[in-house]
Amino acid sequence: MELDEKIIESVKEIFSSMIMMDITVSDENPGESTPLTDSISGIIGLAGLRKGVMAIHLPNSVAMAITGSFLGMEVTEIGEDVEDAVGELANMLGGNVKTILSEKGRDIELSMPSTISGHKYEFQSTKEAEQTTISFVCDAGKFIVELQLEK
Amino acid sequence: MEEIKEIDLGIEIINGTKDVFSSMLMMEIEGLDLSNQPRSKIPSNLTSMIGLGGGIRGLLAVHCPAEVAQSITGSFLGMEVKEIDEDVKDAIGEIANMVAGNLKIAYADAGLNIELAIPTTVIGDSFRISGIGGARRHNVSFKMESGTFWIELLYVLS
Repeated sequence: MELDEKIIESVKEIFSSMIMMDITVSDENPGESTPLTDSISGIIGLAGLRKGVMAIHLPNSVAMAITGSFLGMEVTEIGEDVEDAVGELANMLGGNVKTILSEKGRDIELSMPSTISGHKYEFQSTKEAEQTTISFVCDAGKFIVELQLEK
Repeated sequence: MEEIKEIDLGIEIINGTKDVFSSMLMMEIEGLDLSNQPRSKIPSNLTSMIGLGGGIRGLLAVHCPAEVAQSITGSFLGMEVKEIDEDVKDAIGEIANMVAGNLKIAYADAGLNIELAIPTTVIGDSFRISGIGGARRHNVSFKMESGTFWIELLYVLS
């Protein structure tokens, strides 16, 4: 299986088991380095045998819906609850990618998950990296999952 | 388990950054450890960050206002830089990488193995970066002629 297929499978599994949400892959090409507007991104670094960064970029409305579903309550603002949920989502994604890239996840360490949020920002890899970007659709809207790996 | 020596992370960040600036930019700068001061909003237009894994799980971020990021890149390349472009992103990302590399060495001397991820950069007018609840935090400010930039370290022990 190709890397992008494994990522798709892993994102779907996290959403169905942890967030109780069905998602599908969107045909739309997410494009490169377009600014994100009114969004929150969950980020986690991969270090060791493979170095990279895994990110999930969510429009605020989607982030609130996911957090609401995760916590089982209505969420109406981008605050600590959403930051914690998106950080945890990045952490889960990172954990899965670790096992995709290395047998049993050995030799790859995860950094602390973090979130970026704001009205308009761009998220870019600094070093030349191999990029896998996939866009997904759920009832609340679209979101993007991105993996950058050092070549 | 082998005993891990105490590291003064504020001092390591200051010394590492000073080394990077004096060797790469021929520029002497002074750092001020703000770690014990109340948290205030950092006015950044460009933040380069890099993840740390292994003995700690962390994140090192270099926060720069646009004019400071441009002036650092200008000194780095020996030319005037008027906008936030690829060069600026690469220069500040490289500083994040080098300062984190210095921390890796300090941790190794103290008996803890740390691995680095790759730097990424966030560019915008108003954005917020948060770690996870319960993370320890160090924040150092550095003053230059063109303004101030900040280096922040967030981490939890693994």
